[in-house]
Amino acid sequence: MSYNLPNENTLGVIMTSKTGRKSPRNSPRERRVVRSQDIPHRASLGLGFIGTGASLVTALSAIYNFSWFVVLWPTYSNPVPALIAWILLISALIGSFVIARVIGDWLPDWIFVAFLCFLAGAVALDLAAIWDQNDIGRSATACLTAGVALLIVVTLRRGVEILVADGVLALVLITTIIINTNLSDLDRLAPQLTSVAFAVLPAVIGVIIVRGFRRMVQIELDRVLVQSTVSAPRFAVGMLASEELARLDLAAEELLDSVATGRTPLPLRPRTASVAASLATELRLHLIEGRRETWLYHAITESEMLGKSVTLTDKGSLAGLLDPNQRDGLLSAIWMLVSEKVKPSATRTVAVQVGPIVPTGEAPFPGRKLAVPVEIVTTGIARNRVDPSTWEALRRVGRYSDSTRDASVKIDIECLVDNPADV
Amino acid sequence: MDQIAKERDRLLQRTARTYGLSFSVVSLICLAIPGSVSLPTFLATLPLYLLLAFSQYRIGVSRSIVWIGLVLASGTAILLTVVLLDSENPTQGAASALSLLVSFSMASVAIVLATGRYRIPLLGLVAVVVGVLTVVLTAPWQDTLHTVGLFAVGWSSTILIGVWIAAAVPQAARRIASIGRAHRAERHASEIEAQRRQSARLLHDTVLATLTLLAHSGVGVAPAALQQQAADDARLLRQLRLGASPAPQSSGQYNLEPVEETVLGTTLESVKQRFGRMGLEVSWHGTGQVLLPSDVLDAFLLALAECLENVRRHSGVTEAHVTIVDDATTVRAMITDAGVGFTLDDVDSARLGFKESVVARLKEVGGHARLFSSPGSGTTVVLEVPR
Repeated sequence: MSYNLPNENTLGVIMTSKTGRKSPRNSPRERRVVRSQDIPHRASLGLGFIGTGASLVTALSAIYNFSWFVVLWPTYSNPVPALIAWILLISALIGSFVIARVIGDWLPDWIFVAFLCFLAGAVALDLAAIWDQNDIGRSATACLTAGVALLIVVTLRRGVEILVADGVLALVLITTIIINTNLSDLDRLAPQLTSVAFAVLPAVIGVIIVRGFRRMVQIELDRVLVQSTVSAPRFAVGMLASEELARLDLAAEELLDSVATGRTPLPLRPRTASVAASLATELRLHLIEGRRETWLYHAITESEMLGKSVTLTDKGSLAGLLDPNQRDGLLSAIWMLVSEKVKPSATRTVAVQVGPIVPTGEAPFPGRKLAVPVEIVTTGIARNRVDPSTWEALRRVGRYSDSTRDASVKIDIECLVDNPADV
Repeated sequence: MDQIAKERDRLLQRTARTYGLSFSVVSLICLAIPGSVSLPTFLATLPLYLLLAFSQYRIGVSRSIVWIGLVLASGTAILLTVVLLDSENPTQGAASALSLLVSFSMASVAIVLATGRYRIPLLGLVAVVVGVLTVVLTAPWQDTLHTVGLFAVGWSSTILIGVWIAAAVPQAARRIASIGRAHRAERHASEIEAQRRQSARLLHDTVLATLTLLAHSGVGVAPAALQQQAADDARLLRQLRLGASPAPQSSGQYNLEPVEETVLGTTLESVKQRFGRMGLEVSWHGTGQVLLPSDVLDAFLLALAECLENVRRHSGVTEAHVTIVDDATTVRAMITDAGVGFTLDDVDSARLGFKESVVARLKEVGGHARLFSSPGSGTTVVLEVPR
């Protein structure tokens, strides 16, 4: 087995022959996205509980509609198709419930398709049974439960798929109503409308709840992950950089190993030689002492939410001087400024500058402390929209003053930190 | 937990808004069917419906109780308007519209009233009041059992939704917090790991040198030598990866370590073996690895060997104990035996040798030796050298 050239370059960007070489600027973001997907069951935290609740709602609806079916039994000319429809429906419900509990957080495609086929069969049989009554709205029972039955799998599949299935059901119901019922009798129209609503709306509301829950969990996870940077030392290598260093060491080890055992013949081919050259360059870059960044830099680059809207200017790496309480306050304040989004389309940017220390002629602060000015400029947020707990968080950082100019809020904070020269 | 409580409230509010608005729209369409209600009644209820829809929209944004009150008030107003103005001919359309309004559209406030200490009793009160009102007012329109049944189903499902979501959030918050703790530990560990790698400077120097040679396609170096060097470096990297902190001594053709520093442990081992072969059991206690400059180390070890030789020759026992301790400034060795001992005054030629060899040597490097002994009680020699 000869040495295979790595199919990603030394910055971790996957290189295929089809796509071009992506710029290094994008690579930390890409890898960050990959990493957040590695967190197991990210999308299903807490959704198991919600799935149980949704199944409960389905069960309630099934019981209600089945009791109506029993009550309406004498009115059927041939109740057998409707009975078969109910048998199909109940077996689909029980089967999918059991499989959902066993499998966990994702339903395989074929099981989902089978489930939909069962539901479609139940709907068709029920419509066939009540066709000659010409009043679908009042006599449909299994159809309505079939619509609510989509709630059982709402946490296990993507929202779009559930909505599409729901839309198809709505279309089928409306078409059969238009064909079957005598619409000139307007008094009969209302129950039809109500039945369609009861069949279709629960699944839509379920999808919205699950989507909102997933978003909430994702944002909270992101916040908690960057919260861990608060306890970092003054200068830290950061998780991305340390991962890269370990990867580079492994690549170098594999290359040297294959040269040593003779798998790669000497003199090297030009491509292998260039891989060795780039490995050496990257290793040198990583081993330079001055490549350490502050906790604030790592928090912003490693977070999906902050990375999109926050820019940091910190030439002197002064953010590392803040103590943990101040760091927590600053991070919470920035987070709350970024996450207060009324309209999803509104762009909001936050620019943080941990400013250069301007030497003043004043007397030194008590306790040999140093004053570090921090300036936060936000665009796209009005002053009264800012969450009150943001000001509280800023108070923990230091004395602050804020001003509004056009549509942007400018906050100046003066943090007192221990003078590193005196430690 | 504050942050996630806010997010939870936001989720509940958005759900209530969607739920309420969708059923309000269906209710309005039912009422808009020609023939359900008379035209004046419909026009009277239209602004009320608009107010209802607007309040439900605002519930999705604001947590204030005003909007909840407005929803309930406008819903009740619609109910009263339709019942009072159109009580002569109850139609199916109007009945459907009213049941949708009361049991589903107004029930959406139960979703936002499910959390909070003051809100839950309020929720109970609201449900009871609206229920009684509905049953009483729509008695001629729909049979009471049907009304009550639908009312119960509608309100209980919204209460279920609110309570369930509110209960699911702390669960998720706990698990997220544990993920956060694990991540903090992982971050700390990866930081230490990165610093360990970064401080393996000699290792990386030699690896970089070999990689640079390879980058020039290995031209100018004998292939065998390059392979040997690559093998050494790969071995060092492997040790680094598996957790050790290797201190390479040589790689290929050049030495990497300054020759002066040697580890005490290897030389002590040779002393131990030497005396073991000669019949003296030496037990070692204390630190086995101490770094000393080479001349001090030589003097120390020679003095130690000399003391052990004395034990072997003069003490009459076959066992000796050596304890080595070190602190920031000195390294100290204590050689004790349970032999015959001697009196310090009784000096013969052998002891002179001790004085010359041990004491003088240590004095040269700035240390000293002390001797404690008495007949029948064994001997203890303490050697001290500065670091």
